[in-house]
Order: sequence, then structure tokens, then C-alpha cells
Amino acid sequence: MKVTLVSRSGREFINGGLELPDSATVADLQEAIYKRTKKFYPSRQRLTVPVPPGSKERPVVLNYKKSLKDYFDEKQNKLTVVFKDLGPQVSYSTLFFFEYLGPLILYPIFYYFPMYKFFGYGEDRVIHPVQTYAVYYWCFHYLKRIMETFFVHRFSHATSPLSNVFRNCAYYWLFGSYIAYYVNHPLYTPVGDLQMKIGFGFGLVCQLSNLYCHIILKNLRNPDGSGGYQIPHGFLFNIVTCANYTTEIYQWLGFNIATQTVAGYVFLIVATSIMTNWALTKHRRLKKLFDGNEGRPKYPRRWVILPPFL
Amino acid sequence: MASALTVLRRLYLSIYNWLVFVGWFQVLFLALKALKESGHEHVYNAVEKPLLLAQSAAVMEILHGLIGLVRSPVSSTLPQIGSRLYLTWGILWSFPEIRTHILVTSLVISWAITEIIRYSFFGMKEAFGFAPSWHLWLRYSTFLVLYPTGISSEVGLIYFALPYIKASEKYCFRMPNKWNFSFDYFYAAILALGIYVPGSPHLYRYMLGQRKRALSKSKKE
Repeated sequence: MKVTLVSRSGREFINGGLELPDSATVADLQEAIYKRTKKFYPSRQRLTVPVPPGSKERPVVLNYKKSLKDYFDEKQNKLTVVFKDLGPQVSYSTLFFFEYLGPLILYPIFYYFPMYKFFGYGEDRVIHPVQTYAVYYWCFHYLKRIMETFFVHRFSHATSPLSNVFRNCAYYWLFGSYIAYYVNHPLYTPVGDLQMKIGFGFGLVCQLSNLYCHIILKNLRNPDGSGGYQIPHGFLFNIVTCANYTTEIYQWLGFNIATQTVAGYVFLIVATSIMTNWALTKHRRLKKLFDGNEGRPKYPRRWVILPPFL
Repeated sequence: MASALTVLRRLYLSIYNWLVFVGWFQVLFLALKALKESGHEHVYNAVEKPLLLAQSAAVMEILHGLIGLVRSPVSSTLPQIGSRLYLTWGILWSFPEIRTHILVTSLVISWAITEIIRYSFFGMKEAFGFAPSWHLWLRYSTFLVLYPTGISSEVGLIYFALPYIKASEKYCFRMPNKWNFSFDYFYAAILALGIYVPGSPHLYRYMLGQRKRALSKSKKE
């Protein structure tokens, strides 16, 4: 069958369109576009069904596994597909790896090396036990994140735009250095022993709970990488939609209770607001998807992210 | 039919805009007078009172945006007002040594002309319901020159104030303290300078877009 490819402005994107066998899938179409254009590899392509002009509907994205016949317009007797270039893409694993590598390397630099002489302080410095536990706690956290990236997470999309690498790395690396500077400072004032133990203990419990949450989320999805959404259940997911974010936030709270820096608390507030935004989107999407109609289950009443607040 | 609330809103905004217009008019007048009679070193002293008043009054605009009294998004008014207040209070008012610099003159004149046009434009629209097309043109064209002159003056003044900032140790909070927090106004000033690097082209491009929209819209009418 002939596939006509247009850009979002309506111009023909590939002159004369592409000829594909009737049994071809969307994935085959993506390959054909890539072969023809040489520049737009499949993960860069966003292929949608054209919407009538003036329509407010969100365009339907072609599913790479479906066959082209499913999108063939019988009335008009043709298949028109709208193409959008998503820009250079990077796999999520690559993105996460580099975001987390920064804090993993930069923080210990402030702990182990005489960095503070560059800020005008002398070289002698007393290292408090809390500072030592903090560097281990921090590095454990980011090592855990890297391990989860490669061995646990199942991503709903394979890739992310390249520009996100710069934005995300700036966020993690700058905040990581900002916190590391204060916790390892020669003039650092430690909190009491009990407060430190409560902070790290609570934080560790939350980190392990967070790992368990990630494992539960992974098992919700099909190993073949088809993504999709299910109602999460089990463990904390029975009472809160984004239990993984909940445990992550409380884990940072534990770290801050133990280390007590304004920098750490600022990071906690920013991270919480970002995750709350994501959690609201996810919660709303699940409620919309699982509306109880046509045999679909109804999404149960649950906290969004932070009981008892939201 | 205009409801009582609409009338109240227009009355309030008219008074606000024309009042601040008068403030900035005073700034321009006194600046040019001082420049002619005494030289650029004396411009700040001549304009200080109306400048501090008119610039600080702009904080109201954030409130106006938040409560929906005006359409402008808070996200674009906040950085603009932030940088103005930083220069006015955080540099000029805080560090008297910089007040005699010639860039104060270019700063004050750039700001005053821009604000005179802007506030009278809004004053006209709120009070009379329209503004003549030449006024619209001025509002969306003078920035082409005044933004570069204004921004260069801002950046220059922050830069030349740096030695005074460092020496005075003003607004600094030092370690050790139980919250393990510190703030160094000198490094914050350097960070502010850094923000101008991506911030200025972004703002200028935004204004160019606004200009295109506003001037083409008026052509269609």
C-alpha cells in the first residue's frame, strides 16, 4: 500500500510517499522512513494519525507493533501519516546514568580532597562521624539508582530528547555539589547523636522501601518492553499511587534530619515539587484510564503522593 | 454592560498606571536637569526619591497578575521586576560608591523612557479604552534600543560595584551556624551577572515576538 507522509503543516514530507507491503507494521514504516531520510532513526520519529483541521482532539500516535492496515482510512482509501521530528534522542538508561554519575563522583571529592583551600579555608579540618556516614549514605543512594537503571526499571519510552541530558545533569550535578560543599565544610556543625541516628535509620528504611516499590512497578509491566499502564498494587501502593516518590522524598528527609543543611532542605523542597507534579499527572491519567466503564476496573480512592497532605 | 467590579478595576488600574507614570516622568525630568546643571555624578541624588518609589511600586504588578486583575503572566513580570529591584535597592541604594558612575545616567534614562511609554500606554487603555497606534508602535519599538542600553548599564553597574560589595561584607551570612548555611553577596552578584548571559537574549527574543504579534494584530484591525 502507498503511505503518504506529511509534516504537521500539511506539506508532503517524503515526495511521492512510501510503498510498503499490505502486511507491513508501523515498525516497518519507521524503518522505511529511516532508510529513505538517513537522518531520522525510529526513536526520533513521532507518527500520528491526521486530525481534522480545527479539531481539539489529541492526535493518536501510531503503535509500532500494530499493522498499517489498522490505520488505513477505508473511506478515503489511503493512509496518511503525520511526521514530527523529536530531535536527537538518547536512551533513558544513558540519561539516568550520566545524571547519577555526577553526584556519585562530585560529592566524595568534597569529602576526600582538600577542596576548601580553593574557597579560602586552611587545610586542617576535623571530620565528624556524621560526615562520614553521610558520604556512604549518599553514595549508596546514587549507586542504587544506577543499578536500578540497568537492572530494575522498565521504561515506558525507550528514549528521551538529547536536550534533557544537559538540563537533568545540570540539576543533579549542581545540587549535588551545593549539598556536598556544606556537609563536608570545615566549619560544619553536626547535630546530636540521636538525631543523626534517627535521620539515617529512617532514610535507610525508606531507601529499601523505595527499592521494593521499584521492583513492584517493574513487575507490573511486560518484559517485552511494550509499556502500558496497570493499577499498581501491593505494599504501599495500596494506599498511595506514587509510593515510589513517597519513599524517595522521605528518604531525603532522613538524610536532611541527619545532616541539617539549608542546601539539603532546599533540594528536598525542589525535588518534592517536581515529583508532586509527576505524581499528579500519573494519578489523573490512571483515574481517567480506569474509569470503571466498559469492563475496565475503577481506580480505587488513594493518596496521590504524600499522605496525609496530597 | 460594564459591571460595578469592571468599573472599579478600570478605575484602580487607571489611577495606578498614571501615578507611576508621573513618578517616572519626574525621574526623567530630574535626571536630565541634573545632567545639564551638575554633571552625571549628581544624577542619582537628584532622582533617588521618585526612582525608589516608582520602581518599588512595580511590586504591585506581581500582585495584579496573581489575583488576575491583569492578563500578564507572573512568569514574565517576575524576572523583569526582580532585576529592577536588585539594581535599585541591592546595588545603587546599598553601595553609595557606585552612584557617581556614568552608567547610572544611562540606566536611569533607559528605564525612565521605557516606563513612561509603558505606563501611559496602559493608563490610556484603562482610562479611555484605547491607545493611538503611534503609542502602540512606541511601546513595542523603543525596547529595540532601550533594552540593550538598559541591560548593558545594569550589567556594567553590577560589575563595577563588585569591589565595593566584596569589601563591605554587606548581606553576608557566615558559617559556622547550626543550619550549616552561608550566603555571600559577592558570589551572588557574580551569579546574577551569569544569569544575564542567557537571560538577556531570551528576554529580547520574547519582546521581538510580542512586537510581531502586537503590530500585526493592529494592522488587521
